[in-house]
Formats: sequence, structure tokens, C-alpha cells
Amino acid sequence: MMAAQDNNASEGPVLDIRNYTLDYGTPHGPPVQVLRNVSLSIRPGRTMGLVGESGSGKTSLAWAIMRYLPGNAIERSGEIALLGEDLRTKSLEEVQDLRGRRISMVFQDPGTSLNPVLRLGDQVAEVLARHRGLTPKEAREESEAWLARTGISRPADMMHRYPHEASGGEKQRVVIATAFACNPEIIVFDEPTTALDIITARQILDLFDDLHDETGVTALYISHDLGLVSRVAQDVAMIDSGEIVEWGTCEEVFVRPRHDYTRQLLSAVPHPDRRIVASAPEAESDLLSLSGINVRYGDKKSILGFLEPKREVVQGARDVSFGVRPGEILGIVGESGSGKSTIAKALAGLQDFKGTVEFDSRTFSSRRQIDRDYRRSVQIVFQHPDASLNPRQTIGKILSRPLKLYDQVPRSELSQRVRKLLRSVLLPEEYAVRYPHELSGGEKQRVAIARAFAAEPQVVICDEITSSLDVSVQAAVARLLVELQQQTGTACLFITHDLNLVRQLAHRIAVMLDGDLVDLFETPQASASGRHPYTKQLLDAVPVPVKAEEPARTA
Amino acid sequence: MSELVRSPTGLVGIVLLTVVALAVVFGTVLAPYDPQAFHPAVRLTGPSKAHWLGTDQFGRDILSRLLTGASSTILFGVGATAIGVFAGSVIGVTAGVLGGWVDSVIMRTLDGLLAVPDLLFTLLIVTFLGGGTGEAMLAVAVAFTPGMARIARSSVLSIRTREYVMAAVARDESQAYIISQEVIPNAIGPIIVEATIRVSFAIMIGATLGFLGLGAQPPSTEWGLMVAEARQYMYRSPWVVAVPGIAIAVSALGFNLFGDALRDAFVPRGRR
Amino acid sequence: MSPAYLLRRLLAVVLVLWIVTIAVFAITMILPGNAAVMILGEYATPDQVAAMEERLGLNRPAAVQYLEWLFNLLQGDLGMSLRLSLPVSEVVGSAFANSALLAVTALLSVTVVAVPLGMIAALKRGTKADLGISLMAYVGTAMPEFVTATLLLVIFAAPGNPLLPAGGFIPPGESVAGFFNHVILPAGALGLILTAHIARQVRSEMSDVLASDYIRAARLKGLRERRVLRGHALPNSLAPAVAVISLDIGYLLGGIIVVEEIFAWPGLGRLLILALENRDLPVIQAITLLLAMVYALSNLLSDLVIAAIDPRVRYE
Repeated sequence: MMAAQDNNASEGPVLDIRNYTLDYGTPHGPPVQVLRNVSLSIRPGRTMGLVGESGSGKTSLAWAIMRYLPGNAIERSGEIALLGEDLRTKSLEEVQDLRGRRISMVFQDPGTSLNPVLRLGDQVAEVLARHRGLTPKEAREESEAWLARTGISRPADMMHRYPHEASGGEKQRVVIATAFACNPEIIVFDEPTTALDIITARQILDLFDDLHDETGVTALYISHDLGLVSRVAQDVAMIDSGEIVEWGTCEEVFVRPRHDYTRQLLSAVPHPDRRIVASAPEAESDLLSLSGINVRYGDKKSILGFLEPKREVVQGARDVSFGVRPGEILGIVGESGSGKSTIAKALAGLQDFKGTVEFDSRTFSSRRQIDRDYRRSVQIVFQHPDASLNPRQTIGKILSRPLKLYDQVPRSELSQRVRKLLRSVLLPEEYAVRYPHELSGGEKQRVAIARAFAAEPQVVICDEITSSLDVSVQAAVARLLVELQQQTGTACLFITHDLNLVRQLAHRIAVMLDGDLVDLFETPQASASGRHPYTKQLLDAVPVPVKAEEPARTA
Repeated sequence: MSELVRSPTGLVGIVLLTVVALAVVFGTVLAPYDPQAFHPAVRLTGPSKAHWLGTDQFGRDILSRLLTGASSTILFGVGATAIGVFAGSVIGVTAGVLGGWVDSVIMRTLDGLLAVPDLLFTLLIVTFLGGGTGEAMLAVAVAFTPGMARIARSSVLSIRTREYVMAAVARDESQAYIISQEVIPNAIGPIIVEATIRVSFAIMIGATLGFLGLGAQPPSTEWGLMVAEARQYMYRSPWVVAVPGIAIAVSALGFNLFGDALRDAFVPRGRR
Repeated sequence: MSPAYLLRRLLAVVLVLWIVTIAVFAITMILPGNAAVMILGEYATPDQVAAMEERLGLNRPAAVQYLEWLFNLLQGDLGMSLRLSLPVSEVVGSAFANSALLAVTALLSVTVVAVPLGMIAALKRGTKADLGISLMAYVGTAMPEFVTATLLLVIFAAPGNPLLPAGGFIPPGESVAGFFNHVILPAGALGLILTAHIARQVRSEMSDVLASDYIRAARLKGLRERRVLRGHALPNSLAPAVAVISLDIGYLLGGIIVVEEIFAWPGLGRLLILALENRDLPVIQAITLLLAMVYALSNLLSDLVIAAIDPRVRYE
């Protein structure tokens, strides 16, 4: 429906996909439709963002472009043209000759896409030897030059390293160098920063910008992150259930979305300005307070320890002190390994700690002192909904367990209360008899939230509860949590790495770095002066999505 | 279950096991002759209408001996595995749950026992217990225990770090509840898979012991013993050793295929 | 790899062997079979039994016997064979060499056959070649050594026109051709089940490698299939293959007992069966310890080999 959008017809598109339809055959039953009548074209030097949620078909489209389809793929119709040549008509040999030379790819996880037993330098050089016919020596020199261009500080040294001897960011730079090495006409980026930490991701984005400016390469940038796409791409296509529902310039699509799906997704994307909580109740004193919490990993001694390698002792948390006020949502942010989850586990009584936790005018100075009364009042919700519900128990059994354990309701009212809990998280009552695997990820996370609230706690710890969910599901779960929290007046410790989300719903934000609490502030003060440099660095690293016009229409 | 039937390995496994199970249950009823009856006139004859699988050195009907021997051969494997799996699971779960020095000591001991090849271990035990079916079964069970204990332990350890178990710990559930309701129901899958595959080894080791004269004793019709007794005549009439030999292989194959299909159904490998 | 790592691993091997000594002693001492009765026969008078126990030192507490044995062992003294009245080290020594010849021949041929078979099956996944190899592997793993050995004898060593000898041993020093002539059948009987098992494991490991992200990445770089397989897939599947082979050495060491007995191969297995029949305790203990040591050391060796081929494995 959007086919006739070329307003710059003087130069033909680099990549031109027309009416492409793809199915996957299934061994029993009819084939599954993966892509439906996809039309898309990318003009020279432009970056096209391809945005969709999991299962939308965005990765399948990348495989189709790369001509790397699984054996059960059935291409029903359409063409995929690179500078006018239909790739679908190419033989395998011709395709092998194109890949890496005229069309290359950067993958999501550099940790798995590099060969673990080959030196990084050789993995770049082999492409040059293959496609540009360079001698081994020339290829190595050229590779080293490319590593330098991707900002690797000691390229000669990196040439000799194996993947496990490089950091995630360095590995992704090597993958990017490989993709650019033969000056291809187009590069497909498949979520290249998703597996990286916030600040590393930002550096990779900057590198992408620089290389894009230098080389003028055309790019297809696949992502689920609207904010990120609005920063790197000039054009964007929205894909939903195998269909491109809308495409155009970022400006057109994000500011004046025409399709419902785009609007829906835009409103689901967390935006710091779109607060979803009321202000925190006034509080005289802290409900829960930590002082001088220290956690060390790998400290344990075993009697046969001399037979085991020395384990590195890792400081999970170092002298962490803060308080949680009644009824507030306190966000804790940090990168992986910052100690934010360590704090969650220590507070949930799952991790040995030193220091003191004060709650309800009682003091706990070790994990052993934590008793049932505390555990009832401080509940935790985990990151992975797939792992946090016992697969062998029904939802009803899972939800009734805390009710029984803490004698929350008389036995006779048990099933009634379970139904009420299900309703409170907007799930149908019939779900009580189902097993976790019959529910979607978002539904499972609702059950986990219901289980936490079943105990009528005073504090709920949410450890990255939205990070494994899709954008729209994530928004719904976040809203649900905030609603429950406000209805019940429960305080909430919201641990996340998503800065836009936390600014949307937290009253205060704590920032952790390498086990230290480095900053703690009221959310509106996030961009105020006097913030810790690391806080600033984090905030700068995260692209804030463009806001659509008239968001009120969808609300 | 439907997945099991759909995979070719599962289907073949189920068919083979059904045949074997029928022989175990109805073997004595189905046997056309008395397996111990001598028929001097028809010694070492090949397959014929009267004797489908031929006769042995005493003119005994091989088919009848095979059918009646199914129970001692197969039940040996199942029984030895069951005892070994039970003992191993108890030890493994104990080590996994208690952790600390108990775990260290148990694991190092298991390492030591695992360094002795299964068959050697079995031979040692059965020799000093004195040969015989019961003794051999016990010996195989003991030899299997360390390996099963290791599997049970690692299964428990991997489940102990699952978030639903952590949720139970955070709720202050009792150790007994966590083990019986959260850990064991989820740890049992891999243990059953391993046990099924081990039955085939137990059958093979049991038959080997019978062959060496340390397991079932004459006049048993245990298949390994049948091979041993007929060995002197094997060049004259190969089917006397081939038939019980193939029967052992078919039963072991059945458990092997079924176990593999179970593994695929329980623990699907992440593949696109 | 650091010297500290090697030292730690060797310590672990020593610990394992120490546990083996305890286990062996426990089995031979605690279980009901009385060595003196076994040696003298059922009809021995109590006085004779007592005298024999006195002679063997069996009337002393088990712990004393164990410590004495261990002390002697540490000095390299394995005791005297009860049956042959010769030092155990002498009896076991030559048998060990003969067994090693058989085991190494079997293991080498298994490796040469099984690893390529497994790789071919993985590369041709779903084709007739794969089906054939997988089928053979399944059947092979269900054949105990004594069945394979018996069938091999029937086929290749039938009297009248034997293609190969039905048993016996000729030292390679005496006649290389004679040695190989005699080793083929026992090595085949030992090797079939191992070949089947290793081929299956290698197929599964190789399939995982072929399904990995880095193989996909290599293909999407435009590399030719040959380069993808040789340069990328092969180096990654060698280490798992070594691990599988090393684990199967334990099985080989068990199988050797039966195979030597059937083919009259004068090795440790045959010696063990004789010693078991005669309750020749010092010989039984020495053989068990020796086999456990071979297994533990071969596992250590394979770990070192893996560290050499896989750069990720750097033992500290």
C-alpha cells in the first residue's frame, strides 16, 4: 500500500523488495505464514530501521535478504533486488560470492557469532582473502587497519586474540570491521547492541554513525527499540505479523503515525516525560532501610578446596546504604554486574550479606535472622516469567501457596481468593486450572506479580521484571504493577537497566556501579546539575524516543 | 506421548519393547515346548517347521528357551537399574541438597568409584558375593549407583538455582516442601531418561555375567548363559549362539531407542 | 596451563586411586566370600582354614591388613600372588603390556573409523548416509562384546577354512604380521560397540557445532562451504571428540576383560578372571588399581589435549 513512495527517483534503490511472501512448512499441518507481501526499498546511503516485536518476521526478512533460509522455507512470490539484480534468481555459488562482499551482516550477539577457536584477526582477514583476493599478508595488514578504524585501541594486539580474550564491545567492533571490510553496498544490522551493556551499546552506535558517514554505506537496521531506531535511521518500516504496516522517513512515521500498530507501539515505548505514577505519599521515616550492606561471592571454603582452582572473589555489593519509604517506587539502575540484583537477593533473604537491614523497627544483621514475618512482608518478583513459576504446578496451586503458608485466608475461601488475585492482574479466572506453559510470557509475569501481592506485603522487589518482555507487553505489565502498587500502598523496589522506563515510574532512582551505590535522587532531578558523572553518562547513552504528535488520541 | 510415536526412533523403540514385554509376560505360556525337555533325535538342527529357531546340543527347542528366558534376562536389567537408580538418586539428591562438605566428600568418593570400569566393579562384587542371579543384580545395581548419583546431583543443582525454587526459599517454605514439591518433580525427567538408557547396559552386563558363569546358573534359560552353553557347538550350528545373542541386542536396542526418544521429548534441543 | 594446575590434577588422581584402594579392600574383606575357604575348597577343616588364614594374614583386623598393603604399595611392593607364588608386579607386568597392545590397537582403529563416520553423518544430516550410519551406531551400541566376539568367531574363524585365528597372541617383536593376524578379531569385538557409541556422540556434537551462530556467520561472510567446514566447524568439534573418546576408555577397559577371556589373549583381563576364580587377592587388587589408574590418567591426558586444541580452555 505504500509502494509509491519514491520521491527521489533519480537514483534507484540499493535494496528493493517487492511483494515478497514467505512461508515456513511444518511437518504436521499447514505452512505458517512468516512474511506477507512485503515491499520495501532503501535508497543509497540511507539507513532504514526495521522495527517489530518478537515473532513479527523481522529476522526472517533479514535471512531472506541474505539468502540464508532454512530448508522448510517456501518463497511464495516477490523479488529481492540488490541494485536491480533479483537475488532470488542467483545460484548458491553466486550468493556465496555476494555475501560479505556486496551485502554483509552484523549479528545480535558477538559472543556467539565469532568462532571461539580462531584468532580475531584471522576472522577478519579471511573475508578479505576470499573476496578481494588479497595475499595472507595483505589481508592481515588490511584487517588491522579496519580494526583501527573501528576504534580498537591496540589493533595489532587484538589481531592475535581469541574471542574470549576480548570484551563484548571489542568483539562487536571486530564483527563490524568484518562487515565493512569489503566495502559492501548494503549492511544488515540485526539488533547489534541488544546483547551489550548500556554504555558499550552507546559506543557501538557512535561507531555506526562514524562509519556510516565515512563510507556512505546503505544499511538495514533491525531493532525492537523505537528510541534507538529514531536515533540511527533516516527511514523506518514497521513490521507486525509478517506485514510491513507502514514505512517512510522517521519523521513521518514517528511524529505522524498513520497506522494503529505504530501508534500503539509508540505509546508503549517508555518515555521519561510520560509519567505513569502519582506522586509518592509523604513519609516521615523509611519503611525498609539498609546500612553498610556488603556481599562477596566466591568466598566459600571447601574442605577439599585444594583440589579446586582458586575462585575469584567478587564484591557483589560494597557498603550499600539507602532507605525505602512507605508507598514509594524506588528504582535501582545499573549495568550488568553493578550489584543491583545482588541487593534484591540480599533483601529477599536469598543471599548472605554483612551489614544491617532494618524493617518495621526490627533489625536483621544476617540472612539467618530473616524470619517468616519479614519474608511475608517483603516479596520478590523475578526476571524470567518462564523460570519463576514451577512448571509442574497449576496457576491455582502457585497462587494459593503463599495464602496457605502465611494463613492469609481460611481454607474455605482459598479458591475464591485465587480468583480474586487473577482478576486483580487482569487474567481470566479460568487460568487457575492451567499450567504455566499454557500462558504467554506477559501472562506468566502477571501471575508472578499476583503471587507476590497475595501475601499482602509492604515491600515488593521487582528484579528486571519487564526486561524479557516485548515492548507492548512490557508497558502493560509496568502499568499493572503501578496500579496494584498504588491501590495497596505497597512500596516497590524496581530494579532495571531501562532508564526510560524507570524515569517513567519511579519516585526516586538509585544508581549502582561495580557494587557501589553512586547516586540517589528524586526522579525529576535526573538531569539536574550535580548528578554523579556515571549517572550522566548512563542518561546520555540512552536515546530518548521521539514523541508522536497528539498522543492523547490513543490514550 | 504422541511425540514419542511420531519420532522414528521412538516408534521403533516402542515396537521392540512391546515385543520384548510380550515375551517377558507371556513367554512361558507361548513356548511351544518344555524349554528343558531333551529331544536327542533332533540335536543341533536348523530352523524347521517343528522348531522355528532350531534346537540346541540337547535337542531342546531354542524358541521355547528364548521365550522363557526373556523374563530372567530383561527383568534382571530392569531390576538392577531400578535399585541402582533409587540408591543413586538418594545419594545424589542428598549431596545436592546438603551441599558443603557432605557434598564434597560424596562427590570425591563417587569420582573414585567411577574410575573403576563398570564391568570390573560388577565382577569384583559378584565374585565375592558368590555368583547367581540375585547377587549379579545387586552387583550391577551397586556399579550403577555412582553414575546415577552424579546425574541426580547435577539435576538437583541445576533446578535449585531456578527462579521458582528461589521464590520458594524467599517465601520461607520448608526444606521438605522445596525438595518434594519443587525440586524432585522437576528433576525426575532427566533421571528417567538416563535410567531407560541404562537398562540396556544392565541387560548387556547381566548377559555378560551369565556368559562368564557368574550370573544366572544352569538350568536357567537366561540368554547370556544360553550363548555360553552353546559355544562349543557354534561352528557346527551358528544359530544356537546367534539367536540368543541377537535377542540380547534387540532388547538392548529397544531400551536405547526408547530412551533417546524420551530424551528428545523431555529435553528438546533449541533448534530452529 | 600452570604447574599448579597439573599438580592439583595429579593430586586429584592420587585421591581417586586412594578411594579405589579402600573400595577394593572393602569389597574383598567385607563381603562374605572367605579367601581361605575359596582356596582350600568347601571341605577344608576349620583347622586348615585357620592355618591358611594365619599364613595369608587374614586373621588380623581389616584395617591393619589395609594399612600394611598400602604401605607396601607406596614402596612399590604389590605382594605375592597366592596362586602362582610369584611377585604380583612380575605377574601383572607382562599381562599389562599385552593388554595395552590390544587396547591401543582397538582404540586407534576406533578413533580412525568412528570420528569421520560421526562427522559425515552430521554433515549429511537427514540423508541416506546419515540414516545408515545412525542405524549402524544404534545396533552397534546394543551388542555386548561377548556377542560380537562369538559372531566374529563364527564368521571368520570357523574350523575348516578359518580366515583368522580363533585366539592366541603373538608378540609384535616376534612377528608383526602374526600379531596383526591375531589382534584383528579381539580388537574388532572390542571396537564395534565403541565405534558405534563414539560415532553417535561425534555426530551429535558436530550437529551442534553446525547449528551454531558462528557457522552461520561464517557462511554469511560468503566463505565457501569447504572453508566453513574445514576452517570453522572442524576445529570446534575436535575437543568434544577427544572428550568422548576419553570417557569411553573406561568402557574399553571393562570390555577388555571379556574379550581377552574369549580370545585367550594373555592380558590383564584374562589374568583377572583367573585371579577371581582363585581368590588371588593381591593380584585382584593390583589389577583393579592399575585399570583405575590408566583410566584416571587417560582422562587427565585428554584434558591436556583439549586445552591444547581449544584456546578457551586455559587451566589455571
